[in-house]
Amino acid sequence: MHEAPTSLSEYRKQIDSALQDDFLRRTLDTFAVSYRANRESIFREVDEHGLINKITEARDNACRHMEELYARFKNNAEKRGVHVHRAATAAEANDIIARIARENNVKRIVKSKSMTAEETQLNDRLFADNLIVDETDLGEWIIQLRHEGPSHMVLPAIHLSRYQVADDFTKVTGVKQDSDIQRLVKVARVQLRRKFIEADMGVSGCNFAIAENGAVTTVTNEGNARMVTTLPRVHVVIAGLDKLTPTLDEALTVLQVLSRNATAQRLTAYVTWMCGAGACSVNPDNKKILHVVFVDNGRTEIAKDPLFSQIFRCVRCGACANVCPVFRLVGGHKLGYIYIGAIGLILTYFFHGKDKAKVLCQNCIGCEACKNVCAGGIDLPRLIREIRSRLTDEQGSDIQAALLASVMKNRKFFHTLLKFAKYAQKPFTGGTQFQRHLPAIFLGKHGFKALPAIASQSFRDRWPEIVPKVSDPKFRVAIFSGCAQDFVYPEQLEACVKILAAKNVDVDFPFEQSCCGLPLEMMGQRKTAVDVAEQNVRAFFGKNYDAIITLCASCASYLKHNYPPMLDHDARLYAEAKAFADRITDFSSFVHDKLELGPDDFSNSGQKVTYHASCHLCRGLGVKEAPHDLIKAAATYEPCEEEEVCCGFGGTYSMKFPEISAQLLRKKLTNLRSTGASRMVVDCPGCVMQLRGGAEKEALNVRVDHIAELLAENLKR
Amino acid sequence: MALADSVNQHLVETFTAKAAAVNAVVQELPSMAAALQYVVDVCESKQPAELLTNEPGTEQGPPGPNKQPTRVKRIVAAPDLNDADLAALSKTCEEKGFLCIRDGLRRYVAGFDVGITQARLGVAASGTCMMNTDSEDARLAGMIAEIHVIMLRKSTIYPDLPSIAQYLRERMAEGETTYTTLVSGPSRTADIERVAAVGVHGPLELHIILLED
Repeated sequence: MHEAPTSLSEYRKQIDSALQDDFLRRTLDTFAVSYRANRESIFREVDEHGLINKITEARDNACRHMEELYARFKNNAEKRGVHVHRAATAAEANDIIARIARENNVKRIVKSKSMTAEETQLNDRLFADNLIVDETDLGEWIIQLRHEGPSHMVLPAIHLSRYQVADDFTKVTGVKQDSDIQRLVKVARVQLRRKFIEADMGVSGCNFAIAENGAVTTVTNEGNARMVTTLPRVHVVIAGLDKLTPTLDEALTVLQVLSRNATAQRLTAYVTWMCGAGACSVNPDNKKILHVVFVDNGRTEIAKDPLFSQIFRCVRCGACANVCPVFRLVGGHKLGYIYIGAIGLILTYFFHGKDKAKVLCQNCIGCEACKNVCAGGIDLPRLIREIRSRLTDEQGSDIQAALLASVMKNRKFFHTLLKFAKYAQKPFTGGTQFQRHLPAIFLGKHGFKALPAIASQSFRDRWPEIVPKVSDPKFRVAIFSGCAQDFVYPEQLEACVKILAAKNVDVDFPFEQSCCGLPLEMMGQRKTAVDVAEQNVRAFFGKNYDAIITLCASCASYLKHNYPPMLDHDARLYAEAKAFADRITDFSSFVHDKLELGPDDFSNSGQKVTYHASCHLCRGLGVKEAPHDLIKAAATYEPCEEEEVCCGFGGTYSMKFPEISAQLLRKKLTNLRSTGASRMVVDCPGCVMQLRGGAEKEALNVRVDHIAELLAENLKR
Repeated sequence: MALADSVNQHLVETFTAKAAAVNAVVQELPSMAAALQYVVDVCESKQPAELLTNEPGTEQGPPGPNKQPTRVKRIVAAPDLNDADLAALSKTCEEKGFLCIRDGLRRYVAGFDVGITQARLGVAASGTCMMNTDSEDARLAGMIAEIHVIMLRKSTIYPDLPSIAQYLRERMAEGETTYTTLVSGPSRTADIERVAAVGVHGPLELHIILLED
């Protein structure tokens, strides 16, 4: 069992060593790429989003009725000879199971996979009673032999090579085992068959506890759960209260997504529905002794939380890890405690406490890849940000975050600071766009990319000179600039203004706008983020623009999805926030969908241009095709491998985890290089900062720009 | 009628493709007699079953692929055939020198050759069979046998999981206690380096015989 990190510096050391593990890197790389393709193809056969919506609804409903469902389940199961228990804590659950073993004179136990048993650390409790406990899921057995915890919820031994497994199997059998995987699987078949036969008690997990008839369901591929639930005379099911579901209909809905999302299978080899204590010929009365132990461990409290109750939509498919770019680099042991992946960070906080979660929870880059595939439609990145804010409320913030929050509360002070920064940096830029000569002490692990300089004149300072004069405008829009473009890359906004003016659009730039607040939330400063949100909404009050355009995908997606719920404490403000959010439009969508710019509007330069899809554009806003079309209209579009994988910026993330950020950037640049393009465009200044800085550092002969710059350059006069 | 037939054929084709995609061997046969003959043929042509644990009093042959001793007298387990079909199967097995058993399968958990059971229905979208496994013997026939043969009537193939909800509900209510299994292909794993391997704890092979009504 690995320990959860307790300090960021210790955690970064662990991450460093994980990054050096070539086998892990290779395995997870291959997995990430093949999973993505296999998942896509297996979901083509069903209505993915329809099913996910149904799951969301069904699980939320089950969560609201947890107590009722428990009572119904208990009643129906007891009628069928099942003993039903309810444990308030993990320790109590373990005690109940140990007591069942004692009362039934059990010596040997076989287990099929259960994340809930991992959560309660049941095995340790059973070992303390001198019971022999064997895991029978192949992956779980392997990690048990190695005294490790799972590194993935569905593929617990994905971090290990066949050679390591062969060594472990050699030790346990006392016979030299070769590393052929098919043979290794058969070693487990032989070794574990004996254990199934000798066992007095089987412990299984539970995918669904069905209230309408008191049945429990397990979903497996290897067939071990059927052995565990059939051969021993006693069967104990351990289940979180969140596994309760009203009827089997909801289970059938989840089953259509669970295996597809977990392993890109249509359905696992076995789905077993056990309704009542059935036949068991080794007991004198030919009846199985069947106990179901429900674990609360905080669940009934979480179920009442309006925001966090959505964690019970989780079906334990592990997809959030499968698509996570950070998991892909560092593996599950570094991205979770017992539960792994994005949901693992959240469940660690609730089931294993804030001490174990506080550092882990920082390791989300916010790319939304997990949210995009979650079987239950859980807003995982948001919940992780929310936990950071809770940790801040409970434990206070680190100095950096607190400083940021206090500066941001006052827009004028914040903007003044940014303007001063341009003088302070002068000795380091040599007059270029990059900070070239930052003393090494400031760079540290951040030397993997060139950092941009603050612009000599911000967009807001230039605005009075460039504000376009338009008569009889087609649209009236406002710009929400975000900090990066206002103060670092004003030329990106100017390019946008040039296009809008040329197409007869009236543009406004309300000066009272400030930072969108996302960086604050990323650093756990929720309260200041709410203040800033209110300031921004007020800055655009009552102007009735046709659209509010942002050239920063992160700002856009944050403003659109988060502002209304953030400001719901005041009805009028909420209505304004809603109107504000509805008008937020990303640059590409506006010029593509509203202005309908196409090949006729550009002199195609023929330049080979490739594209990086910013996380918050392609996933946050679902905008995928508009940028492709626009590039094709103005230049020659060269597709890039893994276009939608995060570039590693993640705002403040790249400051906290520079090693991971650098690795993600490296992958991106490798893919960029193989396109042969001389230019890459993106629709987010954060990505420009990361990618341009990386290209500069590696001296690639590739320009990285905002897509607005490419379009403005090639716009027909 | 014509419409119903064509729909049915489409489901049969989908079922066959999806079952094959998860390594099941799908075989269309005209009659129960042909199905029983198929079972005997499968048993005859396979490697003898390995005894994964000691089974006192059982004649042992040379070690199998996993270096475990093998069973000399082959076993076909048929826990849910009706009396007439079982009698027919027993007769053929006897001629071949196989043991044909209906119950008491726990005696043979070290491993046996073939288990044959009947599906309640099939699910085309995933190549799945719904099995009544209330009895221990019905479970063991599909768990311990090296080759599991399922007989499925073509007319009982349904499109997808939602379309079998009511049948599953009725199946689970058939007795005071029930145990129902959805089977899609032989047992499998990808737990070592994500390499697919078939035949972990359950059957090494799954054969599905599609029968006309």
